Amino acid sequence: MSRNHAIARMMGRTASENTTHAKLTFGGGGIKFKNLLMNGNMNVAQRLALEQNGLGASTYTGITGTTYIIDRWRFAAAMDGACTLTRSTDAPAGEGFPASFKVDVTTVDTSLANGQLAHIQTGIEGRDLQHLAYGTASAKTLTCSFWVKSNKTGTYCFAIAKGDQTRMHFIKEYTINSANTWEKKTILIEPSSIIKASGGEIDNDVGLGFRVIWVLFDGADRDNGVEGWQADAAGLLTSTSNQVNLFDNTANEFYLTGCQLEIGDTATDFDFVPTDVETTRCKRYYQRYNRNANFSGMGLAVPWSTTNGNIPWHMEVQPRTNPSIEYGHLSHFDYFGVTGAGSGGVPTGFSNAGWAGGTNIDIGFTGSGFSAARAMLVEFDNTTTNLPAFFAFNAEL
Amino acid sequence: MALYKLTLLKDGSVGGVFSDELRKAIPKDSYNADWIDYLEWVAEGNTPEPADSAGA
Repeated sequence: MSRNHAIARMMGRTASENTTHAKLTFGGGGIKFKNLLMNGNMNVAQRLALEQNGLGASTYTGITGTTYIIDRWRFAAAMDGACTLTRSTDAPAGEGFPASFKVDVTTVDTSLANGQLAHIQTGIEGRDLQHLAYGTASAKTLTCSFWVKSNKTGTYCFAIAKGDQTRMHFIKEYTINSANTWEKKTILIEPSSIIKASGGEIDNDVGLGFRVIWVLFDGADRDNGVEGWQADAAGLLTSTSNQVNLFDNTANEFYLTGCQLEIGDTATDFDFVPTDVETTRCKRYYQRYNRNANFSGMGLAVPWSTTNGNIPWHMEVQPRTNPSIEYGHLSHFDYFGVTGAGSGGVPTGFSNAGWAGGTNIDIGFTGSGFSAARAMLVEFDNTTTNLPAFFAFNAEL
Repeated sequence: MALYKLTLLKDGSVGGVFSDELRKAIPKDSYNADWIDYLEWVAEGNTPEPADSAGA
């Protein structure tokens, strides 16, 4: 029995129906995990209010540099301008996307110097791109589809940066035709001869395989590229000279959602991943723990000197690599001895005190008046300033 | 005050850097994006603060 016939019998269909109507349609929606871009519908946002029981903000204002607001998606910038970033509920009607990534210009930048840029970006791990067979004659064709909306019409650029082996970039122009109207765009990414040749490989490791880029503007040293795959002979180029400058007017805004990068030469229906699954996948790159009440305990700590201690912590998901520890403000935390030894206080610093794979990590903290090997409790303080109070493990690409 | 300060592990070796300005503690890990940023900061000619004494 052929594989198609076996699958068709499982689905209660004939083989021809199965081939005609869907490939491996388990529960509807087409092949699962075909989308190489995680959280492409901007569903999961651990950093924002909707995931935090009311804590935190749903909008980040005054952004001038690289900032994550939606899991796996970042605004990357080096500019004189500024903007507001929002996980917006504005999304194309009837497509089922819960949100979009919105960039709202608040300060213009009309003098675009070398090194300046404003992008929406996401990253893909090298381990998750091995099936593209780059660096061989069997290198796969890719298709990227996405929905975009802006009041500023004109030519924009989509780009991919490949940093492993021979550094290369892919650029393709697309046009926003109608102001303030959701439009679906499709980009075909065919493997050129340099992708198929030696040097086109993507390292099989946890490092960055692809940086996928939606350009909002580029400085003069980045915007003289040509379409297709090119080696980074003159540095990393991410746009052509036709790219518009979204930051030329404070009235400008840009929305993006429904992003999907898949193998093949055709854009298929969006791969909706259940929220619990998508959240778990995102936590490989960022996992956040919010204060849930005043004086809520983080855990017991073990001092190993008068000024240093470790908090053994069990993460929910194994991170991509040894993570950074992020926090809102040192004053959000305090410690005190629980065995009658050692004084209390506010930590003066944190460190990643040890991770060796898996989900266990030691959070190091410094302070004063510790008593070695006498247990201490570290907790969230009852702070009402500098909110939100949290700590997080960050292993984003 | 420098942007970064070195942090020590229990064995006295440098385990990474801490930046209260960035609100981050960063491990010495070649795949960590923050550590890569830190190395670029050093390559630009900057020097981190030394680590605090480990204490008695």
